[in-house]
Amino acid sequence: MRPVVVAGVGMIPFERRDEDSLVDMLAMAGWNAMEDAQLGDRSIDAVYVGNMASGLFNHQESVASALVDRLGLMPAAAERIENGPASGGSAVKNGFLGVASGFYDIVLVVGGEKMREVIGPKATDVVACMTHPQAEYIYGVTLPALAGMFTRLYMEKYGVTHEHLAMVAIKNQENGLLNPYAHIQMKITMEGILTHPQAHINSPIVADPLRLYDCCPVSDGAAAILITTEEIAQKLKRPIVTIAGVGQATDTHTLQERSDPTDLRAVRISSQQAFKMAGLKPKDIHVAELHDAFTILEIAESEHVGFFSKGKGAKALADGETRIDGKLPINPSGGLKARGHPVGATGVAQIVELVWQLRGEAGERQVKDASNGFSLNFGGFGNNVLAFVLRREA
Amino acid sequence: MKTITAYKCKDCGHVMYPHHYRCLNCNGLDFKEISPTTKGRLLTYTIVDQLPWGIDERGRVLGVVEFDNGVKALGVIKTAKPRIGMRLKVGWQPVRVISGEKVYGLTFRKTK
Repeated sequence: MRPVVVAGVGMIPFERRDEDSLVDMLAMAGWNAMEDAQLGDRSIDAVYVGNMASGLFNHQESVASALVDRLGLMPAAAERIENGPASGGSAVKNGFLGVASGFYDIVLVVGGEKMREVIGPKATDVVACMTHPQAEYIYGVTLPALAGMFTRLYMEKYGVTHEHLAMVAIKNQENGLLNPYAHIQMKITMEGILTHPQAHINSPIVADPLRLYDCCPVSDGAAAILITTEEIAQKLKRPIVTIAGVGQATDTHTLQERSDPTDLRAVRISSQQAFKMAGLKPKDIHVAELHDAFTILEIAESEHVGFFSKGKGAKALADGETRIDGKLPINPSGGLKARGHPVGATGVAQIVELVWQLRGEAGERQVKDASNGFSLNFGGFGNNVLAFVLRREA
Repeated sequence: MKTITAYKCKDCGHVMYPHHYRCLNCNGLDFKEISPTTKGRLLTYTIVDQLPWGIDERGRVLGVVEFDNGVKALGVIKTAKPRIGMRLKVGWQPVRVISGEKVYGLTFRKTK
């Protein structure tokens, strides 16, 4: 396999974007990545679009074909990649394979979702369509409901408390204030979302024990990366950040069939694959973007990835180890919790953040001396997970 | 009473619901169709206040139950004060309306 370099990255702010269509958003993010790569008039061989549900959200299909047309990239190959909330990560993986295999030289990967075109309960229903139709969906199960059942077990088994969950929300919303692309730009306090007698008004129950501030917002947004060979990247004169490790693993469709439902097997396996390929260990990582669609996931994933031993993630969080100035900063971007989670965009946005961090271009949220980064994109409720290791080359 | 159909691997005895082509434990291909027993115990639950479009209620309790014969399934828990480990008795009732049709599924009530 050839080394694969992320030569350009681009995003648009995640927010409610009533004025832009999904294809508008994909095109803006894609163009930003092309400009960042200083691509000039070089042609792009292929475009991969990570998107979960443009048909149900926006009544539009074949968005990859629409995107190459909008950007004027014909006759580039174009495909949409769907893998639920890990659609972005899957699109990155497919782009990576295209370049690594030698089949393509320059690939544009764009992830995007426009979720606010429908009202909240409909967005909840669209996302719930990824659950098992007979064994889960008919009961009204939602992704927060699956996360709620997981959280209850995790709290009981590992002593994670409501305070720990709130710490994730507070930390990530603080980080989001430093990220101009983040949807949620609001400082929150433990008192305001948990301990004040009226905190339940600010943060009502969504799926007990998870409250509003334990859940990511519903957002519109898009993010893009331009990937290429080492040889072409050197000519582009951009800092060299390689995709050094890629992993992907699956687990049972339903939560109930896992022998230990608190074991995120696909997170463990995909992370191990990515570390092995990169020749690195969790202790070698300087900055991580984890999939905190729900606060519990940041804690549980930080353990399953191997950053902390099982049951120790909450303590590391409480000790400040995962803050931007901590030993292992997690979600300096604000994560899904603050940046937002336009489902198809997330896996790409995580890579964009890592590239900014590894290049030293992350502004006020810059992690000091970061040269190895890790991202985890969690599809379904942990039934299809992608992990990436990125490395800044000297 | 109507209920779900679960599957027991003829090679290793592993019980599965829903259906898979290969046994998740031993890759076996032969299964016996089984029904869950009438009682089980609550493994985990959540109380959902934000339900999806089409379910006009708040506070629906959803939980995973392990039946006494090992079948595990999600269902609607019809008790106000659920707790992990509690004994439940199964029912079969409408749980959702999809495209104007009532859809039936597992419901559970407290029992001894």
